[in-house]
Amino acid sequence: MPLDITLFGIQMPTLLPIFVISAVVQILLDRVMSDAGIYNHVWHPGLFRTAVFVCLFTIVCLLIYH
Amino acid sequence: MQAANVILTSIKTFPWQRTLSEWLSIDAPILIYMAKATIAALLALWIAMTLNMPDPRTAIFTVFIVMQPQSGLVFSKSYYRVLGTIAGVGISLLLMGMFAQDPMWFIAFFALWIGLTTAAGFKYRNFQFYGFVLAGYTLCIVALPVIETPLEVFDIAVSRFSEVIIGIMCATVVSDVLFPRRLLDSLISSEQERFLNILSTLSDPKSVFAVFDETNPAVTRFSSGVVGLNAVRINSSFESGSDQKERQHYEHLNHDYMNLSTTFHSLKSIIAAIKDRENSEVLCALERLYDPIASVLTTLPDTLLTPKDLENLIRELLEAKKTIQVELELEHKRLYVLTHSEEEDEYISAAYLITRLLNELHNHCATYLSLLKHRISGNASRQLSRVVQFSTHTDNVLVGLAALRGSGVLLLTMLFWILTGWPYATLTITMAVVIGLLLGTMPSPLDGVKDFFKGSVVAIIIAALYDFYLIPAYTSDLLTLGLLLSPTLAFIGWMTTKPKLAIFSFGFVFMFMSQCALDPYYKIEPTKFLESSLAALIGILFGGLAYLLVNFWSCSLTQQRVAKILRRQIVSLCKGALNVERSALESTGRDLVQQFSTQGRLNMRSSRLVFEWLLSTLEIGRAILTIRRTLQRIYLRYHTKSIDIALESIKDYFETPSLSQREQLLNTLKNTLQELRLTQMPSEKAQFKRLQTLIVELALIRTVLLNSQTFPVVTEDSCH
Repeated sequence: MPLDITLFGIQMPTLLPIFVISAVVQILLDRVMSDAGIYNHVWHPGLFRTAVFVCLFTIVCLLIYH
Repeated sequence: MQAANVILTSIKTFPWQRTLSEWLSIDAPILIYMAKATIAALLALWIAMTLNMPDPRTAIFTVFIVMQPQSGLVFSKSYYRVLGTIAGVGISLLLMGMFAQDPMWFIAFFALWIGLTTAAGFKYRNFQFYGFVLAGYTLCIVALPVIETPLEVFDIAVSRFSEVIIGIMCATVVSDVLFPRRLLDSLISSEQERFLNILSTLSDPKSVFAVFDETNPAVTRFSSGVVGLNAVRINSSFESGSDQKERQHYEHLNHDYMNLSTTFHSLKSIIAAIKDRENSEVLCALERLYDPIASVLTTLPDTLLTPKDLENLIRELLEAKKTIQVELELEHKRLYVLTHSEEEDEYISAAYLITRLLNELHNHCATYLSLLKHRISGNASRQLSRVVQFSTHTDNVLVGLAALRGSGVLLLTMLFWILTGWPYATLTITMAVVIGLLLGTMPSPLDGVKDFFKGSVVAIIIAALYDFYLIPAYTSDLLTLGLLLSPTLAFIGWMTTKPKLAIFSFGFVFMFMSQCALDPYYKIEPTKFLESSLAALIGILFGGLAYLLVNFWSCSLTQQRVAKILRRQIVSLCKGALNVERSALESTGRDLVQQFSTQGRLNMRSSRLVFEWLLSTLEIGRAILTIRRTLQRIYLRYHTKSIDIALESIKDYFETPSLSQREQLLNTLKNTLQELRLTQMPSEKAQFKRLQTLIVELALIRTVLLNSQTFPVVTEDSCH
């Protein structure tokens, strides 16, 4: 995967769309997990949520910079 | 908070446990919040400096704008801040691209945008308001600095946007990860308090049957908080671990409470009228009717209720319902002999309200029990399928006024800029626009401007200390800068926890962040510092001037406006669509009155009057809806012409109220009631019930109209 991509004629780092996409995925995942009651079994929901986002974002980032 | 609770229970053995637990519950959260705000701000500063952002102060400023003690508030504020910034950046690029060469058009569209955002900010509640403020403010900070060099606008737009995102990320992550305080927890505790308050108020027959007593806190509290708690519920939806079902329960509780409070106050006002006429027989009958409710509620423990207690309570309430039904029938037969219609009207409307109160109390308890069960085991006992909507109403005149003020102050400061040709006047414009946007929804904007001014002056002094002494003398790298800044950042954090200092701290943050030397490299000059401070202070003065000038909203004007809107509501209910929900009616009315009582400068007396008007409107409106719905389902032979005439004359009366029309309407209602009572009662049970409903609702309308002396014919000027 290239480090820069061009969207609508604007060149930007690939990290930016990845960030946006993983944020959307995170929001959907968050909704599913909270309705399923998973957060009731987690010690620190906020930390868990942040960690899930970091995982989502970094997995794709590592693929690019590999 | 959970950790704090564990500590709270484990220190019970200490000798000075009270002091410690008080410190833990009151002072410790403030200290934690100060630490969180400081850490988030320093993190934002560090990231922005490391990434070589041209203006790191925007990031740190954003942190303080969105930072709140509860995580839910931070999320929802951040969300709207991002939306507002996107809109602001977009419109700046558009304006600069189209009109950079043409000052006339540029200024015209600028003013239009500011007017639009001010108006929209006024129209929307909660932090949505904040998104619009930011949309207007962002245009100022992006477009104005590059007005001489329009080609740079894209760079500055991108960097401002990135800085805002950095600030928001830092604030949200820190507030959700470090000692998070959930909004939902505060929601459940205020819901608990409200529920206990309801039970204790209703358990005492005196609070229903005694004369209205403004000093009785239980009674006055019984109407507050509907709009506020709804806002909390909306904001909590951004938090982690808030599931949809729980929020739906809160929605329903709020709705139930709203109905309950309306019924309670209507009942009280009818009883007050009966008392005035010293009609002890009716009063005694009503007290007998209320007795079962009071006796069920007095047996309850004062402490927190367990689901088991609640189940018992609900069963007993059901029994009380049956008792009241029997009592009502007996009493009805006895009173029928009196056939003095005035008294009978009063009695059946009050009795109807008592049964409604009981039904609604039963509903409220059932929903509350379901919520408790859901929180404990995840099994809600109640299916909440119906969606209850909280509708709002904003008066278009108020919105128009706000838009006029926003555009006006922009044009005025633009004129100041063009006439003086002062390069720093762009700061004047920004500050004036901020004042116009931010303080517009405050109860007393002028006091707000004064506080803002004071905060800015203090900030200038402290910023000067930093710029010319502390930063050049003691900082060599990012670490020392952070150390030097942290006391001030913690101080700002402390100020934002004090509601009294809210506007002062806003002024402080705005000024400190724009004047403090937080650039990637040190570039402060005394003349520039003084000139820009002066420009900003002049901007605040301009903003204050706008509030002073565009401000003809007096108390009596507000009263007239409210009366007109409420009247129009009834008229539209008389002829409009039938699918209006009671919840929509109630929430709109409450929201409207809340807004007018903060905006319209009503005194105590007028606020009470306006609340009474609202109650009459809600009762009459609901009764009209019920009558119209019943008429659709009743046999044609009972649907007499006189009912249609009565509805028509209600509509006429509220369209053009006058004293003579009031007399006429009361007579029409009396005749209609007489006629209905004389008709042969149908033997079919459903039809019998519908006919009874018609009588009760018409009697209720008549009683409410008789009691309401000041509405819709505004006879008393309570503003002086």
